[in-house]
Amino acid sequence: MALVDRYLQAVKFWLPRNQKDDIIAELSEDLRSQIEEKETELGHPLTDAEIEPILKSCGSPMAVAGRFLPQQSLIGPALFPIYRVIIRSLILYFLLPWLLLWMGIAIFSPDYRADHPGMALFATLEPWWLACTWSLFINTLIFALLDRSQSYSQRINDWNPRALPPVRDPNRVSRGSTIFELTIVVATLAVWVQLDVFHRVFHFFGLTVTLSYRWPEFFWGLVALSLAGIVVSGLNLAKARWTRLSASLRLALDCGSSGLSYWLFRANLLQSLSGNDIPSTEAARFVSFLNQWMARSAIWVLVVGAIIVFFDIRRLRRVDPGV
Amino acid sequence: MSPSTSSDTRNDDRFENLRQELRRGSLPLAVLAALRTEHYGYTLRKTLASHGMAIDEGTLYPLLRRLETQGLLVSQWREEDKRNKRFYRLSPDGKLILKQLSIEWKSIHASLEDIF
Repeated sequence: MALVDRYLQAVKFWLPRNQKDDIIAELSEDLRSQIEEKETELGHPLTDAEIEPILKSCGSPMAVAGRFLPQQSLIGPALFPIYRVIIRSLILYFLLPWLLLWMGIAIFSPDYRADHPGMALFATLEPWWLACTWSLFINTLIFALLDRSQSYSQRINDWNPRALPPVRDPNRVSRGSTIFELTIVVATLAVWVQLDVFHRVFHFFGLTVTLSYRWPEFFWGLVALSLAGIVVSGLNLAKARWTRLSASLRLALDCGSSGLSYWLFRANLLQSLSGNDIPSTEAARFVSFLNQWMARSAIWVLVVGAIIVFFDIRRLRRVDPGV
Repeated sequence: MSPSTSSDTRNDDRFENLRQELRRGSLPLAVLAALRTEHYGYTLRKTLASHGMAIDEGTLYPLLRRLETQGLLVSQWREEDKRNKRFYRLSPDGKLILKQLSIEWKSIHASLEDIF
């Protein structure tokens, strides 16, 4: 019977304090009745090996005790869907991009690795860990408190079907946003033409800025992408919804823009800077600093580009193939 | 494992889950009905099992406690065969609820028969 006592002791540990003895007495009586019946059937006292299946059929101590406890949840079923959406968004749009960005920098930037050798590299991830812990903890705490707030539960039940948002069409393109996009592209092109940015040398405020000989390549590439962007906006304006053609063009454009921007950041864009009041050594140091900073930041451009392309691909997959 | 065996196992699992769910819902009614006669836990389990409603200890005792807390059962510790046992029987409220639930059960049964 030592095995039965050990089992009952294990169950007792998880039971509510004021019911422990009562529940254990009842459970004990049931188990002893089962054992007695089996002993009568076999004609001898049961061994531990024969008692074992009886206890196993009763269930694990924690599971048995759990059934005597009231059903509890930190966040109930009414609020859980909202909690899930918030936690999912937090992970997908904040914590995961941050981690990917950190991994990108750690993998592709030798300078970053050199600045943080060995375990110091992982120590730079500390703010991310803190953000994870605190954001998850605070969200869970807020939802647990809301769940216990009577007024909030009441508000959830007091809903009006007419107040629900209209059915969303993910392929619809708002004409307002298309016109805004078109205006921005056309205005940027106009300003650039006005500023005469076709050349590599600029003079303003007593400064002479000379850009890399590769500047025109970037510039004309950008003009080509802007013109293609105007075509996509025109298509969207005409149809007011994403089609296979416009979504594919947008994907190609965003791939091109990301690649071009990455290339620009790594192209040592600024060749020289001069001015009457600036010593040439200082100017050279500034040029070098700016080019190095841009080269280091190129990875960020690539990451942002990858995120945009990810959404473009999702949009393309969503578009009805027949459209 | 062949595809048909895997599919059979999945069907068995699904059937078992739904069967358990169906039986779980009718257990309180079965327990209340069986407790028109006084029983202690073990004999109640035996009675239910003899009528094809087998129930394990981990399910029965919490259910008995819940029904007692709701005032549908009354219990008493008493010595029998030199051992202390807790005997349960229906309370007056329990008798009333059992009557109502029986009517509801018959109505559900009739509705299902009608649908089948």
